[in-house]
Parts: sequence; C-alpha cells; structure tokens
Amino acid sequence: MKEKIKIFLDTDLLEKYLLGITTDTETLQVERYIAMYPEVRKEYNELQENLEDFAKSYSLKAPEGLKEKILNRIKAQNTAKRKFINYAIAASFAAFLFAGASYFFYNQNRSLQEENSVVTNQIKILEADMKQRLEDVRNQFIVLNNPQTKKYTVMGNKKARDLKAVAYVNPVKKLSYINVQNLPHLQEGQCLQMWAEVNGKMINLGILKEVGNKDNLLAMPYADNAVGYITIEPEGGNETPTVDNIVANISF
Amino acid sequence: MSALLENHIVELLQERNEKAISLLYENYSDTLYGVAYKVVKDEMLAQDVLQESFVKIWKKADSYDPTKAKLFTWLFRITRNTAIDKLRSSKTKTDKEIQIDVSDVYKLGIDGVNPDFIDMRENLNRIDSKYQIVLEALFFEGMTQQEASEELDIPLGTIKSRLKIGLRELRKIYVEPTILLFLINLIA
Repeated sequence: MKEKIKIFLDTDLLEKYLLGITTDTETLQVERYIAMYPEVRKEYNELQENLEDFAKSYSLKAPEGLKEKILNRIKAQNTAKRKFINYAIAASFAAFLFAGASYFFYNQNRSLQEENSVVTNQIKILEADMKQRLEDVRNQFIVLNNPQTKKYTVMGNKKARDLKAVAYVNPVKKLSYINVQNLPHLQEGQCLQMWAEVNGKMINLGILKEVGNKDNLLAMPYADNAVGYITIEPEGGNETPTVDNIVANISF
Repeated sequence: MSALLENHIVELLQERNEKAISLLYENYSDTLYGVAYKVVKDEMLAQDVLQESFVKIWKKADSYDPTKAKLFTWLFRITRNTAIDKLRSSKTKTDKEIQIDVSDVYKLGIDGVNPDFIDMRENLNRIDSKYQIVLEALFFEGMTQQEASEELDIPLGTIKSRLKIGLRELRKIYVEPTILLFLINLIA
C-alpha cells in the first residue's frame, strides 16, 4: 500500500491537480487518493499552502480603477442575467399559454367538425326519408282518392280467422296497397309473410309485423292478374311460400 | 488569510452576494494580478486576465467545493489558466512575442509595486535560482513536468525533486515573515 502511495506521489498528478490541469479521469483518481490516504492529503495541503506563499511573492499592486471595472462587469452581468431570466419566464409563460390555447381550440374545432358532419349526415338521412315518405303518401293519396281504385277486404281462412286486411288496387295507375288491420295469433316460431304472384313468379313482399303498421299501407308490385298471398312461415321468413300454409289470397 | 474571513467569503459566494467579489478583490487582487502579470508579462493583458478571472470566479461560484481545495487554490487555478489561455491566444494573433523580454528578471519599475511584498521577493531571490526556474516554469509558463524537463534540459526526476525542495525552501522562508507581516497589518 505504501508503495502505491509512493508511486502516486512520484507522478506529477498531484501537482497537476493543484493547478487544475488534470483530465476528468485523473481528477477522479487524485480525489480518490486524497480522500483515502492521509499521506496524500497532507502532501496536497502542504502544496496548497506553498502555492499560496509562492504566488504571494509575486504580488503586484493591481491598477487603480480595476476593482470598479470588475464590479461593474459583474453587476451588468447579473442584471443582464436577471433580465434574461425575466424575459425567459415571460416567454415560456406566453408559449405555454399559446400552446394551451391552441390545443383547446384545436380540440374544440375538431369536435365541432365531427358534430357538424354528424348533423349533416342526419339531415341528409332525414331528407331522404322524408322524400320517401312524401312519395309514399302521395302515391297512397293518389290510389285512395282515385275513383277507379277498388277496395278489397281480405279475410283469413280457417287457419287464421283473425286476419283482417284491406287491399287497394288501381288498374289505371298500376298501383296496389295493402293495409293489415289485424294479425292472427300464431304459434311460437312462426310469422306471416306476404307474397305476390307476378307473371307466374312468386315475389317475396316481406314479413308482416304485428305492431305499428296498422295505419300503414304496404306497397305491392302491380301486375295484371296478379295474386297476393299471405302464408304462415317459420320465423324469419322463407324463400318460397309454403302452399299448404296459405291463409289468405288477394286476387285483383 | 484568516480562515474566518475565507469562510465568510465562501458563504457570500454561495449566496451569490456581490459583496463576495468586493472582499475577494480586497484580499486577493494583488496576488492574482501578480500571477497574471507573471504569466502574460504585459500590463494591459494582465488587467484583462484579472477581469475575466473575476467574472469566471463569479460565474463558477456554485462549483467551488471547499472540501476539495482551499479558496486561494481555486482562485489561483482560474487566474493562472485564464492567463495561460490569454497568452496562447495573443501569441497566435501576433508574433510580436519575440520582442517580449523572456528573461525571468521582473520589471520592478512598474508603478505600484506593493511595498509589502518587496521583502518577500527579496526572500524569494534567496532561494536558489535552480529551484525558482523550475517553480516558475511549472506555475507560470504552463509547462508540464515533462515539458519543463525538455525545455530546461533537466532530467524529469530532478524537476520533481527541485519542485518539492523548492516549495519546502519557500515555506521555510515565508512562515515567519508572513506571520510578522500579518501582525504589522493588524496593528496598522
């Protein structure tokens, strides 16, 4: 260990450290030796004392006015620094505020745009829906109000005695509607489906729903000598009508 | 420098109180100016060095660690290294340095040589010049021991021993006069 200290002291690391010209790694090494070994610490302290004495021997009266120059420079630097800090604080505060406001407005803008597109879409849908309904109502009005329109009462056969419906057919305008008034009570898993036979082909007109369409006229495709059927089908509807289950037919 | 005053200055420095610079100047400016002059050998440059050094001292006040170096050691490092940098940059600017008197004879004619220190310099002259040359080469010329060995044509081992003995000799000469000087200053 003694040998290690001697080797260390023989290098000029301690003197270089004294003058502040060691590299970072050298500095760490020297500081470790100073902290660990009292001999090194003693040597370093002696070097410091000697350096001060040695330097003092070269003392020269510093010129008049130099002190004021130095103090002024330091004051100027402090005020500049303080000013800079104040500006920096103000600038960062402004930047922060701007960023916050920008984010807020960006978000607001985006949500408004989204809302706007939703509303526009809804308006379009409503418009289309309204046109459709208006068209329907006009056609229904034409049919119902036309003197040539014939009204047929459709009654269910023995399989569905409760079924009551009214069909309106206008051969001139070639339009036909059906209005289901009452649906028979069906077993679980069954539904009523409407069909129209047009030119020998069976066309699916959809499933009759129980609620809500009592006042609705259901449009049916028109053809000369067309026949409408209502059948009982498994729930969800069928692709072709089950002939055995015909509960009503409407012939125009 | 009394330890009490040194501690007070360090405290002020760490509080970033400008009074610290005033006190540092009062207590160390002559020594540091002497160091700067010894390195750059020019009054105007030495003044610049002292100004820059004090600005650095103020800027770096946070990094001063009293457990690692005495206050004077820290001040000396900053001033010496600022002076050496200044000398190097002024040398690269101009080749006039050839005209600078390179002998180690000190220009005593400069106005305002502090009379308090004349005794000391006389004492210093009493140290064998072979030690003095080595000390000055290392402390003021910015040479490493290796460079001093080559420059002065002295073996590295001799440089090391002359540095150590030189500093020890210095100590012998100074311990008593400085105490005396301190007492004289107190009475005055």
